Amino acid sequence: MNAREQILADVQNALHRTSDAPVAAISASARIAPRTPDDANAEMNMLFEEIGKLGGATGRVKKNEIKAALEKLVKEQEVKKATLWNTGELEELGIAQILTELGVQLVSPLADKRAMAECDLGVTGVDYAFPETGTLMLRALPDKPRAVSLLPRVHLAIVSPSALRADLGPAFAEVRGDNYWIFITGPSRTADIELTVTIGVHGAKALYVWQVI
Amino acid sequence: MSQIPTHINFRTNVKNVPPHMPVSVRKATSKFLGTRQAVVDVVGDERWQALRQAGHEIRLHSLTHMDHYLTRLEEKVRAAGGIVHWARDAAEAKQIVLELAKERGVKRAVKVKSMATEEIGLNHALQENGISVLETDLGEFIIQLAGVGPSHIIVPAVHLTKEGIAELFTQKLGVDAPPDPLKLCAIARTRLREEFLSADLGISGANFMVAETGTLVIVTNEGNGRMCTTLPPLHIAVVGIDKVVPDWESVNVLLKLLPRSATGQKMSAYTSFITGPRRSNEEGGPKEFHLVLLDNGRTRIMKDEVTRETLLCIRCGVCLNVCPVYNNVGGHAYGFAYSGPIGAMLSTQLLGMKTAADLPFASSLCGACAEFCPVKIPIPEILLRLRHRAVEGDQIERAAAPAVIQAGVKLGTLSFSLPWLYEFGTQMLKYIQAPLRKNGWLPNLPPPANRWTMARPLPAFGADFRAWFRKRKNERQR
Repeated sequence: MNAREQILADVQNALHRTSDAPVAAISASARIAPRTPDDANAEMNMLFEEIGKLGGATGRVKKNEIKAALEKLVKEQEVKKATLWNTGELEELGIAQILTELGVQLVSPLADKRAMAECDLGVTGVDYAFPETGTLMLRALPDKPRAVSLLPRVHLAIVSPSALRADLGPAFAEVRGDNYWIFITGPSRTADIELTVTIGVHGAKALYVWQVI
Repeated sequence: MSQIPTHINFRTNVKNVPPHMPVSVRKATSKFLGTRQAVVDVVGDERWQALRQAGHEIRLHSLTHMDHYLTRLEEKVRAAGGIVHWARDAAEAKQIVLELAKERGVKRAVKVKSMATEEIGLNHALQENGISVLETDLGEFIIQLAGVGPSHIIVPAVHLTKEGIAELFTQKLGVDAPPDPLKLCAIARTRLREEFLSADLGISGANFMVAETGTLVIVTNEGNGRMCTTLPPLHIAVVGIDKVVPDWESVNVLLKLLPRSATGQKMSAYTSFITGPRRSNEEGGPKEFHLVLLDNGRTRIMKDEVTRETLLCIRCGVCLNVCPVYNNVGGHAYGFAYSGPIGAMLSTQLLGMKTAADLPFASSLCGACAEFCPVKIPIPEILLRLRHRAVEGDQIERAAAPAVIQAGVKLGTLSFSLPWLYEFGTQMLKYIQAPLRKNGWLPNLPPPANRWTMARPLPAFGADFRAWFRKRKNERQR
């Protein structure tokens, strides 16, 4: 017997099951009613409040003030190189163009990982957001490379109300065919040295989350 | 550590616990319990208890249908382009990883904190074969440099001070390291960043494996988990077969329980959901994905209907935090990767009674762990069953207690079942004890009973309860 057959046989012996044994339905008490959402504005406030508690910087930015907000961010974080998702949403906001105008060198999100690691800023959208925990969910697709939110020192995520979901369940149902996604809840953190919470271990040292209004 | 122990002597280990250990351990455990309480209060007790019940049922259902869900998981991982391997024991698992690494000429591996790979001693095996392995979770990185095992399941280096860590960094990394957590973190970040970028293999475990879609769920805080599973071209996950769960509804419940119970976070900073290798070159991520499904004693654990619930565990570590024994001795005393109540249950069953019979006794059975456990594992009940196994043995394992204890227990069982023998024995004790008796006390007893009298005298046997009770009964009847 090979390892696979042996393990499966051992499992079945231990459980007194056979391969054609029926699988009992999962009981109703193993299911939890989803959280009831508030209106979109309150949900967005909750999301921002939770991210704020974790050390993320949140804000609502008017469409015509994006340039000013980016200029402030670029200055604050000394951004020299940046990369961003190739999505229509970010294109429409003109983020790439503004960054170039601000003298920031743009790196293609398809660039080699070392080039990505040299970026100071990575700009992404947000596919889903969960207000209860302050969590952003980002999918990985050809126009949404994984490394944009991972390697740059600063992560800026643009969230819109349509991304809000009261609970994890609906989002899982919508993306279950994907091969990868990530939950981001605040900037990278650790308490491994004397339990002192330290922000920015391996991932983003700073997280900005903006809603463009 | 990375070495699998052949005998664990809890008593001796406890004697070797340095005095500062309980102090630093308690700092961690009380902090986690505090933050946990705060987030549980936000959920509300009623919903929290419903979540725990749901968690218990999900895990029990997964366990009792494991063959079904493992087969389904395998099918889905394959369909997603991943390769599934099965390993009966530690040796097989190490062999699989080693061969994969050798075939692809791997020189440098980076690792996400994983209990399963710690359990099989994977690092040691890879290093022996000339492959450098670097732990990238900050706490694990520190203890790897220090060459010791984890003292806490969530914060493995909690027993080390910032001064100690600074000295370690200065010595081992050849840098000028000040005793400041922020600066030490920055040093580790720079150092590990280069490793992430140059590694040709990323090794991880998983918190859950979702059978419905073949997805691994990895919960981390630092971002090292994302680095290890995104940057190297090859990702190998070594996961215990007990980590399988049926579907996304289940993940939804378990992700509400795990971070809250573990670190008191509503959600950990990063949770990755990985189904096979990358689908497009543009998105990035590993080209190749391998999943090693590890048994290593888990199917043996499943044979016992009581103790099999050990495998419901989601490794949050809250049982360590509330355990009075763990709080006094820290993780190293348990002699293996798992410590605290979960260690007392799991190490004993994974390593066997011959190696770890001490561990089920390393508990006061106060039951706090069971009250806090997010998936409601009946921990005291399991420990009692394991104590029984240690002393008397059963169909699953042979007794590991010394012959004199086994004989004592057999004699005890016999005398309790025969009232006349019991009474005769208690009467005899009155006379046997005579030479040792001093003023109503027994100050010195011969071995093995001297373990008691070394610490305190034993009251002399009176054997008059039955006489008193009979007399009382007669008086009442009159």
